[in-house]
Amino acid sequence: MESSPQKKTLTIILTEGPYRSQYADMAYEIAKSALNNEYNVNIFLYMDATHIPRKGQNPHSFPNVLEKIKKMVNRGADIRACVRCATARGYACDEKFPYIKGITITSVYDIPDWIKESDKVLSLG
Amino acid sequence: MNSVLVIIDKAPYGWEDAFSGFFVEIACLNRQMDADILLIEDGVYAAVDGQDSDNIKFPGVGELTYLIFPEGNLYVYEDSIKKRGINKEDLMETIEIVNSKELYEITRAKEAVIKI
Repeated sequence: MESSPQKKTLTIILTEGPYRSQYADMAYEIAKSALNNEYNVNIFLYMDATHIPRKGQNPHSFPNVLEKIKKMVNRGADIRACVRCATARGYACDEKFPYIKGITITSVYDIPDWIKESDKVLSLG
Repeated sequence: MNSVLVIIDKAPYGWEDAFSGFFVEIACLNRQMDADILLIEDGVYAAVDGQDSDNIKFPGVGELTYLIFPEGNLYVYEDSIKKRGINKEDLMETIEIVNSKELYEITRAKEAVIKI
């Protein structure tokens, strides 16, 4: 999704996976607040955070992180996963795409590109 | 934003973080950003000279440190090396040891600070 140039932009770099820590949940709450305040929101999933958008998660003891990711995507957040990290964990850009709709697999070079266009950058993990 | 400080606080080889932090730094430098690395806590082990990771079949983090020069600086927090009994002579020549005051100034000067 194209970001609106007149809006401010928040970029979150997330490095931890779901459930073991609450960083994914924190990212969701921060992103939701930023979206409510008319920010463009970018989220870059790095290292174990590339587990977060995987289809078919069914946690019994925790809220499903996928529901939060879907809400962020539906509200226009741009969420991308590092190709090196995703591939290492078995998530490849093939015909059986492992992630929910709206997530793209891309390169680490999106981090500097996003930082350049951002008004605020947060790292969580 | 055109300046960034990448903080690494985990030891190389026990964690992926140092390796991945250097990848972020190199990407930022290749995009012509003012990008430096700060090693603190166990992250300072990434600056120890003479690393050899062949036995564990893991890429050498020490070699990555040379890829950021001369554009990027590799800062090592003095307090962290002292606590670990590491001397300046144990570290690579290309690093710059910084004290708390210098660390404060470096951090303040950057528009973005990210911990990997």
